[in-house]
Parts: sequence; C-alpha cells; structure tokens
Amino acid sequence: MNVSGSGIFFDGKSSERRIVTIVLDGQSLIVKQGEQAAPLAVWPYDALEQVASPDGMLRLALHGSASLARIEVRDPALARAIDDLSIPVDRSGLTSRRSRRKVVVWSMAAMASLLLMAVFGIPYMATALTPLVPYAVEMKLGQAVDRQARAMFGNDEPSRPLECGMGSGEKAGAAAFRRLVGRLEAAAALPMPLSVTVIRKNEANAVALPGGHVYVFKGLIDKAENADEVAGVLAHEIGHVAHRDGTRTVLQGAGLSFLFGMVLGDFVGGGAVVIGAKTVLQMAYSREVEAAADRYGIDLMQKAGGDGRALGVILDRIAGAIEPGFKVLLNHPATKERVAFIMRTARPAAGAAILDASDWAALKTICGKD
Amino acid sequence: MSAIDAAAPSVPPQAPAPPGTSGGFGVARFLGSERSFFGLLARGAIFLIVTLGIYRFWLATDVRRFLWGNTEVAGDNLEYSGTARELLLGFLMAIALLAPIYALFAIASLVSDWIGGVSGIAGLVLLALLGQFAIYRARRYRLTRTVYRGIRLYQTGSAWRFAILSALWFCISVLTLGLAWPWAQASLERFKMRHTFYGDLGGRFVGSGGRLFLRGVVLWVIVIVPFVAGSAIAVALVDWPALVKIVSEGGAGMWERIESSNENVGGAVVFALAAIVWLVLSAALLYPMFRAIALRWWISGLRLGEMSATSRLRSGQIYRIYLRFLGYAFLFALAAVVLAVLAAFVVGALPAAFKETPAGELASGMIFLGTYVLIALGYSTIYQSTITIRFWRLSFETVDLAGLCELENVRASGAASSAFGEGLADALDVGGL
Repeated sequence: MNVSGSGIFFDGKSSERRIVTIVLDGQSLIVKQGEQAAPLAVWPYDALEQVASPDGMLRLALHGSASLARIEVRDPALARAIDDLSIPVDRSGLTSRRSRRKVVVWSMAAMASLLLMAVFGIPYMATALTPLVPYAVEMKLGQAVDRQARAMFGNDEPSRPLECGMGSGEKAGAAAFRRLVGRLEAAAALPMPLSVTVIRKNEANAVALPGGHVYVFKGLIDKAENADEVAGVLAHEIGHVAHRDGTRTVLQGAGLSFLFGMVLGDFVGGGAVVIGAKTVLQMAYSREVEAAADRYGIDLMQKAGGDGRALGVILDRIAGAIEPGFKVLLNHPATKERVAFIMRTARPAAGAAILDASDWAALKTICGKD
Repeated sequence: MSAIDAAAPSVPPQAPAPPGTSGGFGVARFLGSERSFFGLLARGAIFLIVTLGIYRFWLATDVRRFLWGNTEVAGDNLEYSGTARELLLGFLMAIALLAPIYALFAIASLVSDWIGGVSGIAGLVLLALLGQFAIYRARRYRLTRTVYRGIRLYQTGSAWRFAILSALWFCISVLTLGLAWPWAQASLERFKMRHTFYGDLGGRFVGSGGRLFLRGVVLWVIVIVPFVAGSAIAVALVDWPALVKIVSEGGAGMWERIESSNENVGGAVVFALAAIVWLVLSAALLYPMFRAIALRWWISGLRLGEMSATSRLRSGQIYRIYLRFLGYAFLFALAAVVLAVLAAFVVGALPAAFKETPAGELASGMIFLGTYVLIALGYSTIYQSTITIRFWRLSFETVDLAGLCELENVRASGAASSAFGEGLADALDVGGL
C-alpha cells in the first residue's frame, strides 16, 4: 500500500509555493497537486538528497541536479516513511557525523605531519639549502637584515651616534678593536669580509647577522675583565658567520612563516599563535647552533693564540647577573651547561694575552669615557 | 528521537505587527534556539583546536546552515546550500595564487633598497585591493548559496571595480576624519545591491548618505570634537623648539629639564590624556548606538524589485545585546584567569632537567600557546553566541516587509559561483568565514 501525505514543493524554475500530495510508491517519491493526473515530479529514492533544513522539517533535493527544486516535509510520519525507503536520506545524522569524524581525524593527521615538518623537516631543509646560497646573495640579505636590526636595536645614548669608535676620544679604542678583530679574522680565513661594530647598548651581548655583520654591545666590553673575554665572544660570533647561521635562520623563518602563516590560514588568534610557535621552534633549533658556535670559538681562539676558556668565564659572569631583556647571546637556560663544556674542552692560554695592556686599556674607551 | 519528530508549529504565531498597518506587511522571524547554536559553536571550537584550524570550513558551514535554515520569511525558510568542501577548495585556490605573489615580494625586497621599498608599497596596495576584491567575491559566493523557495540569489558586477571604489572611499573617509563615511557606505551599498538578484528580481539600495550623516553626526561631534580640541590645546601649550632641543640632547634628568624650560608641559600632558580618555570612553559608550543607527539605515534602504524593508530596530535593543555579552565575557575572564594560573602551575611543576631539553622547551611553550588559544576561542564562542546570533535575530524580527507579493512568482536565474573569494578573504584575514 502506498503511503502518502502533504508537503510543499518548489520546482526550481519559479518561486511558486505549491502545497502538494506526496505519494510513496515502490521506487519513487511522487509529487502531485490537486486532482491533476500528471505528477509534478517523480524522484527515485536513490536520487534523493537531504539538504540543510531547520529542526522539524525534512528538505529534499534531487541528487546531482543543477536545479534547486525542493520538497519540504513537516509531517513526521511521512518524513519517517521517506527515511525508511531511501538509503541516502538519514535523518538521524549518522552519515554526516561519520563523514565529519573522518574530516577531524584526517585534519589531525595533516596537522601532525605539519608539526613534524616544522620540528624536523624545516631545520633539515634549511641546513641543506644554506651551503647552496651564493655568498653574493648572503651579502645582499645581510644588508637588508642589517638595516632592520639597526632600527630595532635603538640607541641607549640618543645624543651620540649608535656606533662607537667615531668620536674624537674613541679613536684609540677603535684602533685597538680593529687589531683584535684583524687577528681573529686572519686566523678564521672566512670566505667573506667581516664587518664588526661596537654599538651603544648597555646590555652585555653580541649578535651575528647574515653577510658577516657582527655587533658587539658596549655593555659586553664594560663587563669584560680582559681582552681575551671580548675576543672569546667575538670568536663565538665569528663561528655563527662561518657556519652561516644567520642565513639559515632566515631560511628557517621563511619556511615556518609559509607553513604556519599560509597553510594554516588564520582562525581566532591564529596570528599570535603563528608568532608564538615560530619563537618556540626557533629557540629549540638554536641550541645545537649555539653549541657548534662555541666549539668553533674555542678552536679559533686557540688558533689566534688566545685563551679558549675566556668565553666560558665571561658567559658565567654575565649569566650570574642576568638583566631583564631578551639576550641573543644567552637566550638559553642551558648557559651553565655551555660554560661547563667550554671549561672542559678548551686548553688554558698558551702565551700572553691576545692584546697587550695598553691596547686593552684603549679598547675599554671605544665608546668614550663615562 | 530525531529532530523532525519535534514538529515545528505549522501555523506561525502572531508576529509582532507594527501598529497602524494592515495587510501588505510580511513576517520575517528567526526560530533558532540559542542553546543549540552555542552547542554547535562549542563543539566547533574543540574541533578547531585539535585540527589547528582546518575545521573552520566545516564550522562556518554549520553556522550558516543554522542561521539561514532557522530564518523564515513570509512562511518559508532560507536554505544555505554551500558545503565545507567548497570552502576548503576555495582556500587552496587562494593559496595557489598568493604563495607566488608573496615569494615575488620577498625576493624583490632583497634585490635592492629602491626596488624593495617600491615593491613593499606596491605590495601593500595590492593586498589591500585584493582584500576588497575578496570581500566582494565572498559575498557573491554566499548569495549564490542562499536558496529561497527553490531559487537562488546571485550577484554580478566586477569585483575589481568594487575594490577600487572601496579603496577610494576609504581614503576619502580617512582624510575627512570619518565624516565622509556615510556617503562611502551608501555608494558601496548601492554598488552591491545594484548587482544583487533574487531570480529575475533585481535589488537596489535607496538609503542616502546625507540622511545617515544627519543621524550620526551628533555622535561624531561628541566623540571627535573634544578629542581634537583637547589635542590642539595640548599641542599649543608646549614650547616645541625647547622640547626638541632637550630631547635631542638626551641624557639623564630629561624630564626635569623639560619641566623647567616648558612651564605648561604638565597641563599639556593632562589635556592630551584627557583627550585620549574621552575618545576611548565616549566611543565605547556610543558604539552600540552607532551600530543601531547604521543597521536601521542599512536595512531600511534595501529594495528587491518592488519589495521594500523598514527597520524598527531601537538603540536600547543593541545596548542590551552588548551588555549581555559583557556579562558573559566577565564571567569567562574569571575562568580564563584560573586557566592561565593552572597553565603556569603545570609548567612550573615540570622537572627542571626536562625543561632544559629542547623537547621540554617545546612542551612548555606549547602549554602556554594552547592556553592562549583556548582563551581566544572561548571569547570568540561567547561573542558569536551572544552578539552574532542576537544581531541576526533582531535584524529579522524588527523588519517590516512591504510588497511581499513580489516573491510569489519569481523566475529562476543565475548560477552557483566558486568559493575562491571566500578562500582569498580567509587567507588575507579580511573576514568572511
């Protein structure tokens, strides 16, 4: 026996709202209006598609049809009968929940592989790509980063130029500093020229950028007790230059930006999450890089005839009196570990200090007298 | 028991009819339950976290299905026929377009200062235009996925033309401190509605910029004039040459020297602070009224064929919506504090030896990030389940529609468009989803 009931039919061609009789026969759902003999529509059960509707209404479309013809059923008994007869119609939402679950599981898998990519793939790719970057490109990159870095540093003594060693009372210090850098640079035999600058920043710190740009902060020279300690920090930074760590960091940053910024897009607070995740990951990357620069620094100091342990001594002193602020040189809680490694590995100084006493006294005045 | 068994009333209860009108006015209403909307959003927020945001296409689709589906106009419900798959595809298309553009600008910035500077500015302009382009195209997608009585809405018109028009109006609005904003809105709305169709019924927008200006200018005067006056007094009180001289000298005791050479500087600071406090405070207090004025003006300007809309929205209703949001937001802030303290406690309790390994750093970083995401998503969920849904409901429940017979026999027209615009809007963070 055929089940029937009433519903509303829209034919997809006009907005006319037809109150119709819906008859369910063996294979199809038949839409009839009034006493007319010809049905308005005959939709096979397999071709029915349940589309979005509010609670209390079953809304049907013809699957795969470009037409927006719709049947709306509010009669619960009729809706239940259609649900029983048609396989695609599923009012319990089980099918859609199942496909939704699939989406969530696959998205989680995609995210897991992206995270693995961020933690392992990107540093590996950056390391593999860095040697392929021509030195000329690194120099260009260095100039761009250098401009940004100078703007970011800010000057702790705005009335004087950022760079030390230009003023009249600072020339002797600059000359001593040049001799110190020259000695290390000769021993390092780098493939590109170094450009080392002392700047008026009170923090005890030093930074190496791509393209051989190294900045030593005034605060570091103030904290140093002898020329070997300054040289030790410089040798560590030259290690970053030799290993092209700055370029690698830029490549890593670009890779992470692409991965998190573009692929993930933005959901609520996504921008902040991207920045946070980048910082956390780059900090995790940098540990091994710092250790490698330490090893290089010890070697270089010994080649140049300096005291390899001096880097450990000054690191220990600075870490003992950490000032607030972000430390590039010490951006790791593992400073103690680094100091221990340096003390264990480096031999004590073989000969005299790396600069004589008068040069050291001059170097102390490179940023003028206070 | 399935949803359909809980049959909705087939005869709509008496809708609030405006006094003094009879016949010709139709009924629009929203039947969605706020509780199930909140459930949908809360579940979506959890899925957003575990999928790191990919779920947003599905959540956006669910939200729209809910809002559209529960909206009834003249006895029939709207239908949102878009799918999450389309949104995902649109997003991937946008990435395919944007990735090479970003790469080109990144390379250009390395080539030389000059090229880098020029390309940086060109890039910003291009992205701003692309953003407006995306907004227009996203609107097209949403309209073509809106089905009413078996017929879709659609939109024509060049998205580039809209983007340029929008950019020009933005510049004019900024240059006039916002005074040109009403005319900008009227012009852009006219453009959008002129290209909007329901089947063979064309849309129009008849709201006038001048009228919106007259309604809103009092708010502008209250917010902006004291701010400008206060700032001007502050500027006038300062002896600028002396100040510049001292600041350029720098060094210790700068403030004392400024005070001694510039006797009015204290007053200037007071005026400047008062101006800023006034700006923020008055803007926050008047914002709901501004929203009400703009929304009422916008709805009342919409025309579809001979059908017209009139909004009876009152400012008090909008204030109530925001107050309710603030109440929930305050309660959630208390929960957020507890959550943040808990996160700090968990990180603090990690063994020190583990924390110093890279994995440990990663873990503690992730705990803080996760807490942040949880709080941000919580706020977004509260916002949507208090403000978004109430605005939607109010817009429909306070509208009087005249000339509904226009809707009786509309011929189908227009075709479905791709979700590229939505994807672009998503990738550029100009909203949409």
